[in-house]
Amino acid sequence: MQNQRTVVDGVRLVVRALVYAVLGGAALIAIATVFSVLGPTLALDLYTPPVAAWWTVFTAIAVQGVPFLLLGTVVSAAIGAFVPERVFTRLLPRNPALAVPVAGAAGVVLPGCECASVPVAGSLMRRGVAPAAALAFLLSAPAINPVVLVATSIAFPGQPKMVLARLVASLATAVVMGWLWARFGKDEWLRMPASRGGDGGPDASGPRAFLAGLQHDFLHAGGFLVLGAAAAATFNIAVPRSVLDLFTGTALAAVPLLAVLAVVLCVCSQADAFVAASLSAFPLTARLAFMVVGPMVDLKLIALQAGTFGRAFAVRFSSATWVAAVTSSVLVGWWLL
Amino acid sequence: MRGRRYGPAVLLVLTGAAVLRVTLFSDLYLRYVQAGLRPYLIVSGVALVLLGVTTAALRREAYEDEGQGHVEHEGHGGPDEHDGHSHGAAGPRVAWLLTLPAVALLLFPPPALGSYSAGREAAQRAAQGVGSFPALPAGNPVELSVAQFGSRAIYDSGRSLKGRTVRMTGFVTHGDDGTWYVTRLLVSCCAADATTSKVEVRGDDAPPTDTWVTVTGAWHPRGKLGSDAAWPPVLDATSVRQVKQPADPYEKR
Repeated sequence: MQNQRTVVDGVRLVVRALVYAVLGGAALIAIATVFSVLGPTLALDLYTPPVAAWWTVFTAIAVQGVPFLLLGTVVSAAIGAFVPERVFTRLLPRNPALAVPVAGAAGVVLPGCECASVPVAGSLMRRGVAPAAALAFLLSAPAINPVVLVATSIAFPGQPKMVLARLVASLATAVVMGWLWARFGKDEWLRMPASRGGDGGPDASGPRAFLAGLQHDFLHAGGFLVLGAAAAATFNIAVPRSVLDLFTGTALAAVPLLAVLAVVLCVCSQADAFVAASLSAFPLTARLAFMVVGPMVDLKLIALQAGTFGRAFAVRFSSATWVAAVTSSVLVGWWLL
Repeated sequence: MRGRRYGPAVLLVLTGAAVLRVTLFSDLYLRYVQAGLRPYLIVSGVALVLLGVTTAALRREAYEDEGQGHVEHEGHGGPDEHDGHSHGAAGPRVAWLLTLPAVALLLFPPPALGSYSAGREAAQRAAQGVGSFPALPAGNPVELSVAQFGSRAIYDSGRSLKGRTVRMTGFVTHGDDGTWYVTRLLVSCCAADATTSKVEVRGDDAPPTDTWVTVTGAWHPRGKLGSDAAWPPVLDATSVRQVKQPADPYEKR
């Protein structure tokens, strides 16, 4: 009896499995056929050269940003987990008006492009550094580090003035923006992430907090990097650079034009000197503005800042920085170039 | 629930794997960034995978430590729930955007930029004045990049190209009235900053657009050095050979 029942059960199971396999298999085959017939034609119709170029530029910006973003989040997580607050209060002058230029000049030490500086500035603020000083660092770090300055001197051979002008104009913009924030900035514009969630609380320290901070900061900033990359790729494909040739004639229009171009193209700060050099039809001051604005304000940076500090901050800060950067480029260009 | 708990770990591993897939296991990264970035990308990819695995391990430990209070059905896995606004274990929601480039790189790596991008901007002339260049290396024919040929053809007061046979590799683009060019994009950091250089080829029929060719021939001087009339440089081709797309589709500056 017992045996018979198991046999019946076994047969029932096999039959059921067969029915599932046949029905499911047929459904799968049907779906696969429809997809393999329609899919490629549909995909090819949608995959036109501009779309392909969009994907290439989009992934290129994202891939290119990953190492720098990781470097920045490693530094920021390390600051958050291992560096006690008193280190910064000791290193930086108490008076914000003095701390701003010191922090701005300290930007020399972070050899990355702009993706790295946003998370670092965020963790500096969490560690009690005055926002004005952290913001000066945020602006100056990607613009005046040695890697960028060497790239600039290679892109403009025989024009060391261009390197000096870039250094002076960028540092001036960073310091002025720091002072402006110290004088007029409101703390409610800044939305600091109070806790980073995950396994460690905001006050935790040590390796576990380091890992939790690293994981959270990278994913968070990475998402915004992708957002910025999509915007940049869209502009890269939608606005042909030959449109620029219409504006090369007038120096007055050239400066704001290239400053806007720097915002939408999102070329990383280590490469923007080469792009600026290739825009040879424009006056030197306009190309200087391109290189000063680029590392401080661009779509991908605005997305990153909105993610880290809040949208209210990103919009105000970026537009003010744009004006300051253009002004300082014009002044420095008039003085040096 | 699983997706929520392990979401961050999965995202990190996915991103790391995508980076490693195009750097460590193939040369595809050269379609997107310049060669010098490879070691940094490999280090980042490995670090991301390790970070993802560690995160998953820590999560597991943390949940096991929470006690047997709420037992979850893990058998079916369930759909990823990231609807919650919680910023905790699920990780930041914006991070899911990372799946876009990661999946693209893993499954359908986008192609290298080609004639479409080259045609969208007027080829840039290298920003430099007329002057003398270092002597060309020995060899017959001498291998040159399209950009090097262009700048020597237009700016070299020593006319080092004169009497030499040169060879260049690039893809085909077409101009008006039947002219065609061997074209190459220059990338200094990533594909977003690509600029174009091109050389007009004479003496052979035009292959289809985007075909990769190696052309051999001699410089055909025209116009005054450094003037608009000298642009674009011209090559009298003796041979045009179809080749496979090189591993590095771009020229480095």
